[in-house]
Amino acid sequence: MKYILMMNTMRAGQGVPQWGQKDLQAHIAFMTGLNKELRQSGELVSAEGLSFPNQAKLVRAGKDGMPITDGVFPESKEFLAGYWIVDVDSPERAYAIASKASAAPGPGGAPLNMPIEVRPIMSGPPPETL
Amino acid sequence: MKYILLMSGTKAGVDRYHAWSQRDIETHMAVLRGITNDLSGSGEFVATQGLAEPAEAKVVRGEKNGIPVTDGIFPESKEFLLGYWIVDVATPERAYAIAGRISAALGPGGTPTNMPIEVRRFAVYEQSKSQ
Repeated sequence: MKYILMMNTMRAGQGVPQWGQKDLQAHIAFMTGLNKELRQSGELVSAEGLSFPNQAKLVRAGKDGMPITDGVFPESKEFLAGYWIVDVDSPERAYAIASKASAAPGPGGAPLNMPIEVRPIMSGPPPETL
Repeated sequence: MKYILLMSGTKAGVDRYHAWSQRDIETHMAVLRGITNDLSGSGEFVATQGLAEPAEAKVVRGEKNGIPVTDGIFPESKEFLLGYWIVDVATPERAYAIAGRISAALGPGGTPTNMPIEVRRFAVYEQSKSQ
């Protein structure tokens, strides 16, 4: 069963977090270690980090077929900071991995306890879109 | 440059989609299928994925004892990811153009949905993590 684990932790306009270099390094080392572990267990499908919300655009189709871009978002909007796609035996295993990611260290090495949204993904693109 | 095009909607929006006629759904899917085909042809296609219903979503936090705490309660205003496309394109403008086409996919009665599509670049330092 494939699940996507989403870090929806960023807010509009945010850029690189203002953490100390050491804190950032500890955070990245934790994430790299988690990915390595998931790769070794054969559960990692993909993991990506996204650029910061201050670079996000919202696009709509204009009447003439030209895209209309907008970079203004409500303050309450959650931005995807990154995600993992894992292939696991049970939802409980997906929750356990999400819980580990949630506890990634933040400033001063304290666990962030960030909320991770967990969703099953379809086993492939819907057949009617292929 | 890799970009992810995110299609999101609220639970209420998903409920409205379920009320579309079979024919409207088929027309909509045919447009999306055409876009995927074009992107495959141009070599810009990386991946596309639909997600299961928001009703199946959980939010997980780590607890001090290492046991995950799950919760399935979300504010009504929450936008859920419905699906995404990952494309590898030469310019941001090209990513916006593709998002514009997705946004123009036909909805009920053959009118474009004009759904907003969020366009985000992959962080370069993270790309080595992907397989």
